[in-house]
Amino acid sequence: MSVTHDTRVQVRPATAQRPALRGWPEINNPAAWIVASILLIMPLIANGFFLIEIFATTLILGTMALSLMLLAGYAGMVSLMQLTIAGFAAYMVAVFGVSGNANISLGWPWWLAVPMALALATIFGTLGGALAVRTEGIYTIMITLAIGAAFYYFTNQNWAIFNGHTGINTVATPHFWGVDWRADIPFYYIVLAVAALCYFAVEYVSRAPFGLTLQGVRDNPRRMAALGFNVNAHRVAAYAVASFIAALAGVLQVWNYRQISPGSVSVGACIDVLIIAVVGGITRPIGPYIGALIFVLLRTFALDFLVKIGLDGNRFRLLIGLGFLAIVFWSSDGVIGLWQRWRQSQRPAANRAGGGGRGHG
Amino acid sequence: MDSVAQRLSAVGAGAALELRGVTRLFGALAALTDVTITVRPGERRAVLGSNGAGKTTLFNCITGDFPPSSGTIRFFGEDVTHFPPYERIRRGLRRTYQISALFPGLTVQDNVYLACRGVSRGRFSFLRPGQNDALMHAADNLVQAVHLAGVKDQPVAELAHGQQRQLEIALALAGAPRFVLFDEPAAGLSPTERQELVEILTSLPAHIGYIIIEHDMDVALRVVESVTMMHNGRIFKEGLPQEIESDPEVQELYLGGGHE
Amino acid sequence: MTRFVERHPAWALIVIIAIALALWLIFAVWPPGLEDAIGRKRVFLNAVFNGITLGGLYFLVASGFTLIFGLMRNVNLAHGSLYLFGGYVGYAISASTGSWILSFIIAFILTALVGVLLQVIVFRRMEGQDLRQTMVTIGLSIVFADLMLWACGGDFYQIQTPNWLIGPIELPLITAIKSSGEPVYLRYPLVRLVIFAASVVIGVAMWLALNRTRMGMIIRAGVDDRDILAATGVRIQVVFVLVFALGAGLAGIAGVVGGTFQSLSPGEDIRFLLASLVVVIVGGMGSIPGAALGALIIGLAEQLGSVYIPTYAIVVTFLIMVVVLALRPQGLLARR
Repeated sequence: MSVTHDTRVQVRPATAQRPALRGWPEINNPAAWIVASILLIMPLIANGFFLIEIFATTLILGTMALSLMLLAGYAGMVSLMQLTIAGFAAYMVAVFGVSGNANISLGWPWWLAVPMALALATIFGTLGGALAVRTEGIYTIMITLAIGAAFYYFTNQNWAIFNGHTGINTVATPHFWGVDWRADIPFYYIVLAVAALCYFAVEYVSRAPFGLTLQGVRDNPRRMAALGFNVNAHRVAAYAVASFIAALAGVLQVWNYRQISPGSVSVGACIDVLIIAVVGGITRPIGPYIGALIFVLLRTFALDFLVKIGLDGNRFRLLIGLGFLAIVFWSSDGVIGLWQRWRQSQRPAANRAGGGGRGHG
Repeated sequence: MDSVAQRLSAVGAGAALELRGVTRLFGALAALTDVTITVRPGERRAVLGSNGAGKTTLFNCITGDFPPSSGTIRFFGEDVTHFPPYERIRRGLRRTYQISALFPGLTVQDNVYLACRGVSRGRFSFLRPGQNDALMHAADNLVQAVHLAGVKDQPVAELAHGQQRQLEIALALAGAPRFVLFDEPAAGLSPTERQELVEILTSLPAHIGYIIIEHDMDVALRVVESVTMMHNGRIFKEGLPQEIESDPEVQELYLGGGHE
Repeated sequence: MTRFVERHPAWALIVIIAIALALWLIFAVWPPGLEDAIGRKRVFLNAVFNGITLGGLYFLVASGFTLIFGLMRNVNLAHGSLYLFGGYVGYAISASTGSWILSFIIAFILTALVGVLLQVIVFRRMEGQDLRQTMVTIGLSIVFADLMLWACGGDFYQIQTPNWLIGPIELPLITAIKSSGEPVYLRYPLVRLVIFAASVVIGVAMWLALNRTRMGMIIRAGVDDRDILAATGVRIQVVFVLVFALGAGLAGIAGVVGGTFQSLSPGEDIRFLLASLVVVIVGGMGSIPGAALGALIIGLAEQLGSVYIPTYAIVVTFLIMVVVLALRPQGLLARR
């Protein structure tokens, strides 16, 4: 036996990369620094339309999909209710805060309404998760989809709180320190700050006991129990964290559009979050943001593009569906996976042995 | 029960593990029937029997992976019959699996670190372990102890079979085990690897008792002081290794019943 | 049944009392106080009948869903699309030939064919990867939905009820007593009753086929333990294709029924997918009797809910699912 692993050690380069248990992998990656600086100076490059409709929207959707990535990629639970939790938070901001529907909104200032919305949405998502973890594996998708669909029909039916199918309009956005935080540039920075916070938090936690434990639960729940872990408690905790992230994105969403209606929490929209995460890649936190960028670009420009090549411009969903199918067929790790495979095929064979140990899953 | 079994269970109250009338049904099929076993603290025992004799089901009942249909299980005097598996583990019970049950997406080090974390506080901690994290050191030592230091940063999916079996044992030795259940730890190992396994088992601190399921008599009889023989979900015979080995009934059953 | 009573006497008692109460509400002439409290008996009876017949429709959709899941562990989230596809096909046939019966036959055949193609071309390649299969069905449901929107537009379609089924019939259930002492009987649309009877027949036939034929035994064994299937030496792929065809075909038939009962439009696919999900979660995965029970419960809950608590009706359905998941996560009639 000792012979076997001695040879293995020899195969690996002497400076074998240690998985970044304590450090940040991005710090040594020039590409990450470039992306970060571009994002920071974006308002100098992009006009209002691009800044909000493309980049802020991407970051908001990406953060929602990040909450799904945390659940699916680390804990192995594919939840279709992440958008529902975000939508719930958005509704709560509208209900507790100030909006055009004075008979519904309670008129709380934003700094009270937002924490309330975050707390309620987190509780909502955690309860939904507690329900979903009572069954295993593929049932999670069904139960969370049922929760999402039920919420959608409920918002349509209920007028007392959710104002039926018209939803709640002209939701107030925060103004303080003399700044209108919904103006394009301040809003972009708020969105960027929240997205960055969520991204780095997920990245950090993935190597902390909480994140490692989830990955253990994903790989082998039974063994986790046999190591002393209360598996379901960890799963519910994962739902709680993911719900909080989704709720943050939901608050940004309602500030972005200044309104919320059942259309924003439809089943199709719930599935879009899954598509974003899967297309981007669910094994790393960056995946959802890449997926969101692709999705938003397609949604915004598909019409023009389709018309230009002589097709019906309304076939955006068909394009999304086919693209999603293609990704599911060819890459289990979304476009990140495709990118890595391409990189690996470009790299000289000699380096490949060393690189093998890094990517996980 | 014969006199040998009585002699072995005479220690009674101070038992590490005490099963009384444990039965496990799968539908109409009884995988275990009325099993009563007492094991002293620090005692090392082998469970022998042909395939389907109920050995692994016995382990699953003890750890709570599948709770028994009836009967009681006491662990160091405490009734753990209705405890979930993790509560039993936190009280010092450990087990390995016949088919390696590891975390293939994580590195060797992370696997062992999880095992250490599972039986200590801070399982939900959001903070990455620091430079002088005690559990990190514990994990390092454990990786060393099972001779896996050279591959500790490799994902488990890339390990050779023998290395996975060693990791399997490492996971069961994390924290402060008081009693370990080894389910065929030597399965699929080469003769040299078996030798290493025997060394690991015999070098365990004396207060750690264990039960080992092992088909390989050479391994089993070198590392235990008592033997329980199972057949068709029942205890068939208990005794000292030499007695069992020379027992004609056992020989007929075991060698006739398809060894391995 | 007797085992259930032995094991859970309290639950059995509650169930018996509930059934007795329901029967009394249906058959007795309501005392005046009760009508004042909860409204006319005719409204209640109509809601009950609507619920039961809607349950029949839900059963048709959900039984195919549960069968496919039970055997192949394939959560077919495109099942709603098959329902809508069947409905559109049925509409096209009935509009062009005028034959209602023929529309069922063609809808069954075409959706079953789609099912066969899906199983042969797509799902066979990813056997055992349940998550990936589910992702594929999600992608397919999006593609199908958009293709159908392309072909049929966003309009509402309703399949013409054949003449011989139009109009209500009088049932021997008294809704009220006139001041002259003459009883008033319940009048209910014949077509809904016929369709309900047909779904009961289909359900019983499926149950018999599963319990009495060799193929049915094989399928049931496969639902319980997939390894057994391989061991019996049957050509597992043939069984899979047949089951997928049957499940899809049932969804197609249900589409025609739904198109006659209600109407067809984009979005109905999601509605019936949700109904199937909730029905099988409540009834138990892979169980035909479970699908029947779940469909009945959900159909009744939806209709009674929409009559008595209109803005919270969906919550009732949802609460039923929550309660079942909390008390019996595997579903009411599932084995495990």
